[in-house]
Amino acid sequence: MGVSFVRVYKANCNKLFLDNMVNENLVKDVVKEPYKYGFVTDIETEKIAKGLNEDIIRLISQKKEEPEYLLDFRLKAFKKWQKMDEPDWAGLGYKQIDYQDIIYYSAPKQKEKIASLDEVDPKLLETFDKLGIPLTEQKKLTNVAVDAVFDSVSIATTFREELAEHGVIFCSISEAVKNHSDLVEKYLGTVVPASDNYFAALNSAVFSDGSFVYIPKGVSCPMDLSSYFRINSGDSGQFERTLIIAEESSSVSYLEGCTAPMFDTNTLHAAVVELIALDDASIKYSTVQNWYAGDEEGVGGIFNFVTKRGKCLGKRSKISWSQVETGSAITWKYPSCLLLGEESVGEFYSVALTNNLQQADTGTKMIHIGPKTKSTIVSKGISAGNSINSYRGLVKMGKKATGSRNYSQCDSMLIGDQASANTFPYIKSQQPNSEIEHEASTCRISEDQLFYLQSRGIEFEEAVSMMVSGFCRDVFNQLPMEFAAEADKLLALKLEGSVG
Amino acid sequence: MKIIEKIKTNKLAKNQTEIQKICLHKLQSSPLPNPKSELWRLSNKSKFSSFLDYSVSEKDLKSDLPYPKNSQNIIRLVIGENYKINLKEENYSIQQLNEDKLDKFIKEQISCFDQNENWCNLLNLSLSCKNNILGLKINGSKIPPIEIFSHASNNSLNAKTLVIFLEKNCNIELLQVNLGKENSSLSQSTFFFLEENSSLNHGVVSYGENGSNLLNSLNVIQQKNSEYNLGSLHFKFNYARFEINIKQSEGNAKTNIKGMQITKKDEQISTYTKIDFNGPNGFLDQINKSLADDKSHAIFEGSIKVPKIAQKTDASQLSRNLLLSNLAQIDTKPQLEIIADDVKCKHGATISQLNEEELFYMRTRGITLAEASKLQLSSYFQEIISFIPVSKDRWNLLDKLLNEN
Repeated sequence: MGVSFVRVYKANCNKLFLDNMVNENLVKDVVKEPYKYGFVTDIETEKIAKGLNEDIIRLISQKKEEPEYLLDFRLKAFKKWQKMDEPDWAGLGYKQIDYQDIIYYSAPKQKEKIASLDEVDPKLLETFDKLGIPLTEQKKLTNVAVDAVFDSVSIATTFREELAEHGVIFCSISEAVKNHSDLVEKYLGTVVPASDNYFAALNSAVFSDGSFVYIPKGVSCPMDLSSYFRINSGDSGQFERTLIIAEESSSVSYLEGCTAPMFDTNTLHAAVVELIALDDASIKYSTVQNWYAGDEEGVGGIFNFVTKRGKCLGKRSKISWSQVETGSAITWKYPSCLLLGEESVGEFYSVALTNNLQQADTGTKMIHIGPKTKSTIVSKGISAGNSINSYRGLVKMGKKATGSRNYSQCDSMLIGDQASANTFPYIKSQQPNSEIEHEASTCRISEDQLFYLQSRGIEFEEAVSMMVSGFCRDVFNQLPMEFAAEADKLLALKLEGSVG
Repeated sequence: MKIIEKIKTNKLAKNQTEIQKICLHKLQSSPLPNPKSELWRLSNKSKFSSFLDYSVSEKDLKSDLPYPKNSQNIIRLVIGENYKINLKEENYSIQQLNEDKLDKFIKEQISCFDQNENWCNLLNLSLSCKNNILGLKINGSKIPPIEIFSHASNNSLNAKTLVIFLEKNCNIELLQVNLGKENSSLSQSTFFFLEENSSLNHGVVSYGENGSNLLNSLNVIQQKNSEYNLGSLHFKFNYARFEINIKQSEGNAKTNIKGMQITKKDEQISTYTKIDFNGPNGFLDQINKSLADDKSHAIFEGSIKVPKIAQKTDASQLSRNLLLSNLAQIDTKPQLEIIADDVKCKHGATISQLNEEELFYMRTRGITLAEASKLQLSSYFQEIISFIPVSKDRWNLLDKLLNEN
């Protein structure tokens, strides 16, 4: 039969598991790790009044000196947003968000225009230094260009000149609006329209900053680009917008990282990311998300409601999403690919780790529209504590997607008997000449493997860490070098604990 | 939607039983399921309303049931034919459930019904009159196979209910046949209660004629060490919906399900399964196959819930789908919700067309395209059909599927 590729993974579970409570607790202990990015930077900020209305939107637009079309875009989005209902289908339990109690614009006070990095407030530089983000160009070792976003505005973008030599534009979206208005006008909102969903509409109305990347025809970006998002104030939401355009035969690898201080209130982060790949272009978008997740009782933490979508517009174009999700009280995120171009490729590699009372509802949508399009989904979920970790994905083969293929694999690992792991794959096909395969499995830390490693002198903690790392290997292999190391460290950190 | 109007105005039946009253009361506030809920989202609205567009018929026209000629010792029952059942043999007994017990059981079930999840059952129980509810209590061993028919007559909606208690250590083979006549709607609800150590090999074969509709809801409660095997086949319905709710009430039970739905023309057939493990050591092996041709639409949604108490559950679910036409559609959504950590759970889903390499192989050996695809289809069907009890010798299902249009 045409469906001979079914491989249903046998869960790596152990039938002979001895109910060893000591070990059970040990495993629970090692996934506890205090959040080390929880500090607040004491810096004078400029904030506007709380609340959301047309005047606020006009004020944001005015502060950013935006052209008319963008204000129009914002106001239209706001009107749409007012008519929309907050979605509840994910079954996420959270207190209702009071949208009038959020500050929609908050920026660290600094001189109007900064000529060089030396003029950036040293406190800010120090903050990013503490976070391990090299903003000063002396630290060129990493060969990564960084755009650092602090609350609502972009602080600095490094390596600009070098990038400019290759024609690559890498700047904050506010700058792009000023200097590359034609590109922004042409592409903004074409992948994620303002009316797409509740949070995308909100973002379209109030987005403050974010990154803009333009890779011209035939250019392979000489270095990895990276943006780093930091929420500093407790009462302001972060609504950044990222737009990446890869022209014909170009390629780029983009990295995104994020942290926030510890507050006992919930902060809303509703970002929109749009990627556009033309003929033969390729975009690799990697995220390590480590927003503050709230404390053990679930107090505080970021609500991470993000819309990320890429459009493979051109023939043989490729968009690859890889993400490591460890933070946020609630993550609600489905990086997706619209595969329009013939033979275009979409990829999604994800590791999501939840602990305590965290909730993650994440996955992807692969919409096959053009013929011979291909997509791969690999999702690994690890749930510990009382957390809920769900994979929710959609694979759709449209009528014209002849000869298209999809392969999805979702594995979950449960640590402790209080956490839950759910899988909700939606699969829809209207094209007989296409193939879809999906497989999912659930398992726990295998006692056999643990025993094997321990009997060879590897400490318990290290053994668990090794096993989790092995479980995620398929995804880590897809991350860029800088991130792979960071992701491994991050998971190890989360797994590092009080085991003596 | 004649039926809904009547439910709203409470003009459905004259001599309502208490159960009908309770269910009607539950339906009156919102008589239709929420079309936005996951369970009803994909349901074709006009087809669904065509189900509700007939008036209820309580009397059955004696119809010509297809009784395959066979002298085998088989117990054959038709729901709606009013007879007293009291079979007592040396090894076994099959008796009608007494009314009190039947009422009590159904009321218990209704008390935990949800408007969307159990809408089909609520409708069925509000419509089905006393005559159309068959309650049986079965015990013993070496019981001859049982065949139970439900059918809808032309231009009307019939509601039939079947309740079976399988007592301890009892095992039976039971084939349920649901027949839809031209332009008719059949609402069939079935409740099984499997006591400890009992085992049931259950077959469901449902097929209709032009313009027939079916809402088939199957509810199974399994006590420990019971085994429930289901082989099901649905085809030739304008609109059919098959709901399976299985609850392993204390775990330690075995469930095997092999189901298939075949859609052609502009038909829509959907299967929704919900398996609850309410105790440890449960076992589930499920495979659901769909085949969609012409402009038809086949839907499968399966949910497996493994709460904390259900440690050491071993559950697998596989959805295999064949899409044979450019205009047909397949939706499938197998889902897992797991809290217990010491479990083996997996699911898989595939959608594709007939394997071209296999076709090519056969054609190079002189087999025509039509014959070759028939061979492929028969192997696809066979896995399910061979799992349907009783039918093997009496109902030539494979032939029906391959040769009927």
